[in-house]
Amino acid sequence: MAPDTDDATDSEGETRAREVEVPLRLYKVVTVFSTMFAVAFVVGGFIVLDTATQRASLSLSELDLPLAVLGVGMIAAGAFVYAFSTRFRAEGMGKPKDDADEHSDNG
Amino acid sequence: MSIERKDDYDHGEWMREKNLTPVETTFLTALIWMDKRFRIVDYLEILETLYYRVNLQMPKSHTEQYNLDNKFWYWYPLYALGSFSTIAYVVAAVSGALLGFYYAPATTGDPSSAYNQLAFIMTDLNFGFMLRSLHRWSAQVMVAAVFLHMLRVYFTGAYKEPRELNWIIGIILISLTMVFGYTGYLLPWDQLAFWAGQIGVEMSLSIPLAGEWVAQLVFGGFSLGQATLQRMYILHVFFLPFVVTTIIGVHIAIVWIQGIAEPH
Repeated sequence: MAPDTDDATDSEGETRAREVEVPLRLYKVVTVFSTMFAVAFVVGGFIVLDTATQRASLSLSELDLPLAVLGVGMIAAGAFVYAFSTRFRAEGMGKPKDDADEHSDNG
Repeated sequence: MSIERKDDYDHGEWMREKNLTPVETTFLTALIWMDKRFRIVDYLEILETLYYRVNLQMPKSHTEQYNLDNKFWYWYPLYALGSFSTIAYVVAAVSGALLGFYYAPATTGDPSSAYNQLAFIMTDLNFGFMLRSLHRWSAQVMVAAVFLHMLRVYFTGAYKEPRELNWIIGIILISLTMVFGYTGYLLPWDQLAFWAGQIGVEMSLSIPLAGEWVAQLVFGGFSLGQATLQRMYILHVFFLPFVVTTIIGVHIAIVWIQGIAEPH
């Protein structure tokens, strides 16, 4: 796969995160639905994990291992969906920390 | 919303020319598939439009209009102090209304009925300790927050034209907050309350000319007794709640109308 030129290295040689520019309407779709999925997966993952371990009250031998793995997997999946969605940007959007008028050295 | 989707892109064609990774294509295709079936974004856009229609404030803040210092956001946390005082006031009002079911402003007996009721609330009543603690802490927090709110307004120049009236109302409110605190402080009718009351009477009496009249009016006499506690109680649970709630309403309404002030 040959991605856009977006994940080129910058002047200091650090690799920047990949950015994909999408139309505004599609950006809204990405934001709304990926946030929804991420929240559902993380919350659901914790509920599943709680069920598998009976709120962390069971000993290691008693817990339902497949269900616990599923719970942790769901939490990770939610985190992944959220992190993945952050590469999409609408036209004209920059990352706030890369904006020119705010420097980390307090001006 | 019309049946025709307002969409300027053929997503399939657009994605082909964009050179995305397979994961990205799958991700976007899945979300577009969801979007076509659950039109959440459309509804959110309606809410967004409504928000801007309803939010009829002054169009631009001072910093926006004149493109002033872009570092000012460091101070924004302090802009929450007004809301914080309001929240503390609401908590105090609700917990106070509940305490009112159990308190009696009577000085009869030794220890007095008032103090006995207080001891009952603190030791026997279910969640009574919690309830009185909530009331006391929210009162303390409110006094502190109101004072810091005043400092913030002063140091950001938020009292200046056209907001002079609201500054004056704020001064009235901070004074009434302290009267609220003082009247509540006397209600336990223990040693602390009694001698705080004594100080209050003597302070009133020290006012030239009007002193005796003020002591009679506020404390019901020159020495403390049932009349004093009764007056403090009525001020605390009947008079001040109506007055202060109304003035807070006006205070917030004016902020709503004039918009949040940014520094001059």
